[in-house]
Amino acid sequence: MPGFLKEFFNRNGIGMGAAILGFVLFWTIGLIILPQLSMLDFSFRPNLPPPEIGGPKDVYTLENYKYLVFGPEGGSQDYNTVDLRVFFRTLVAAVCVTIFNLIICYPIAYYLGQTEGSHIRIFAIMLIIPYWINEILRAFALRIIFGETGVLNTLFVGLGIWDVPFDFIRNDIALYAGLGYAYILLMIFPMYNVIESLDRNQIEAARDLGAPWWRIHWRVVIPYAKPGISSGCTMVFMLSAGALAAPQILGGPSSLWFTQLIYQQFNDNNDWPQGAAYAIVLLVTCILFVLAVMRLFKVNMGDIGK
Amino acid sequence: MNTSFLRISIWVYLAIFFAYLLGPLVIMSVTAFNSSGFPRMSPWECLTFQWFGELFQDQRILNGIKNSLIIGAGTVALSVAMGLAGALMLTQIWPKLRATYYTIIIAPILIPGVVLGISTLVFWDRINRMLGLGADSFLSNGIFLTVIGQSTFIASYCMLVLVARLQRYDMALTEAALDLGATHAQAFRKIMLPFMRPAIASAAVLAFLASFENYNTTTFTFGEYPTLTIELAQKVRYGITPAISALAFIIVALTVFFALLNEAKLKRQELVAAARKEATVEELAGKIKLPSFFAGNMAAVLLVVFAVATITVVGTATAYNPAQCIADVREQKQLEAEQRIQELRKQREERRKQQEAQEAEQGEAQSAPKPSNNSGFGNVFAPNSLGGDGDDGASDTESEPSNNSGFGGVFDPNSLQSDQ
Repeated sequence: MPGFLKEFFNRNGIGMGAAILGFVLFWTIGLIILPQLSMLDFSFRPNLPPPEIGGPKDVYTLENYKYLVFGPEGGSQDYNTVDLRVFFRTLVAAVCVTIFNLIICYPIAYYLGQTEGSHIRIFAIMLIIPYWINEILRAFALRIIFGETGVLNTLFVGLGIWDVPFDFIRNDIALYAGLGYAYILLMIFPMYNVIESLDRNQIEAARDLGAPWWRIHWRVVIPYAKPGISSGCTMVFMLSAGALAAPQILGGPSSLWFTQLIYQQFNDNNDWPQGAAYAIVLLVTCILFVLAVMRLFKVNMGDIGK
Repeated sequence: MNTSFLRISIWVYLAIFFAYLLGPLVIMSVTAFNSSGFPRMSPWECLTFQWFGELFQDQRILNGIKNSLIIGAGTVALSVAMGLAGALMLTQIWPKLRATYYTIIIAPILIPGVVLGISTLVFWDRINRMLGLGADSFLSNGIFLTVIGQSTFIASYCMLVLVARLQRYDMALTEAALDLGATHAQAFRKIMLPFMRPAIASAAVLAFLASFENYNTTTFTFGEYPTLTIELAQKVRYGITPAISALAFIIVALTVFFALLNEAKLKRQELVAAARKEATVEELAGKIKLPSFFAGNMAAVLLVVFAVATITVVGTATAYNPAQCIADVREQKQLEAEQRIQELRKQREERRKQQEAQEAEQGEAQSAPKPSNNSGFGNVFAPNSLGGDGDDGASDTESEPSNNSGFGGVFDPNSLQSDQ
């Protein structure tokens, strides 16, 4: 038995140590690592009926990945433009949602973090309550508002600003509002945690030295809050790129989110390997993108999740 | 002047922000009380509670709640246990492995839920096949798969909550217990667990809420046990009714209630602690006069107001009968509809007259015989049936919109009969 394992059992006792180790191994290996590897492996296999799995036809192939780029074999187009367009649009939209959330949440996080008083607790409760409501119901609420006979259209048509109801759902405005709405809290809390620990004296010193308010933010607050901003942005980006409920409920009939394609492959086409390949592509692209942006803004991986 | 302007703009911004955050929930809750068959605020028809009744008669929703509770219980048990084990491991793991280990156990939070669901499904399907079990075995059971899939990332949340408290734990306490002859299990149960209890409770609540509202992972793993969220999603996707608003209202009300309850309790603990600090030893030994639950406790007062409001609403709901109002609205709607039908009729009549006038002109100009209706082709060859508006010529009777097609009356069985 290696030394550190022996020490571990000495410290925790055989029974307790085995229990802890068992749970940790089951979680890390059985639930996190092996399923991901299994999915990776699965994505390189052809879609076979159950009796043929493990048979001679069950060989590794790049078919599923080729399908995403080039489309069905012998298809009329050189590239699978439909799926690729959905893929890139999902990424771009996720970036836009992240930036939108960052802009609207930064002032709130700054205000909550730097103001003292009992009303801050009330604000915190008001922030958390929507987050406890079911994701589906939140999307449903926005659909009531943005629907053709919804509150906004009734209001604007009633005021005479528009003659005909504006179709928010078909124009994807409802979708972006819903995605932004769903992840506001995940943007605010990391930023709030960091900004709260910023010494007020630093801001006052900057003000005494004659800095205008925007320069105080640019040179003092934002550099200090960078870890919080980056973990908030990472979470919002990953979650909105992987969102499924909001696009299904708020997306227009023509607008597909990449996760919806994965869902279709699994549930409608019954092509699991294809769906797994799409999921891998989504996961890997998102991780690479986040790492690239973090390098661009010089943030360390260790700062995330603090 | 500058500061007051800044202050006003901050408050305006806060107001807009919270309107964006809370407005949808308020509007959704209000639509639960409108008798309109489609969830909407305006036009307001009647105050009604019928959607709540409808909600509680919906078998699928009730079944979904049952499944959600079972899966929630399983997920709480598994993810709190794994989270605690993971947190304990994090405090004593070999330093060189620490960063890697931390990355692995924190990763499920960032992995999209869709990916977690798929990987769980694929992996356990493969295990199932390796063991040679059938499609109805325990490993491909929807409840098992959903608990496993959800626990993968919910355990990470639990771990974060637990590790924050564990860092304040003094390991010397456990060592003291061991020195005094306790076994490891006893030391864990009697010393560490009581210390961790508040964190375990909040981790459990967090885990249950996360499990209850999870959609992305569950949608791939639920099998034959759809949870409440899955049922809701299917309902919302294929037609929305105010019964969903009613459910949302109940959930919002419960959430607000528990948030206020929690806040009131916290506030009271603070007040008690403050009172203890100021009290003299004598006071503490004798009659401790602790502040009452409501003194200086805004949240508690709100809680009572909230409870009273709930009781009033439920009371009204049992006594109130909106049948009259609904009948009125229906009557009004009927009147409106009739009016509209009459208008339409009038328009049609006018159009027909115009048409006839035109036809007459054409007939005179071309001096062609008016086509009779007796041919087997119906009116297909009537000059107007192709170029016309659709509902002219061929259909003399208003009640037969099936004649709108370009085929005239060919497919109408009556046109054949009239031939004989």
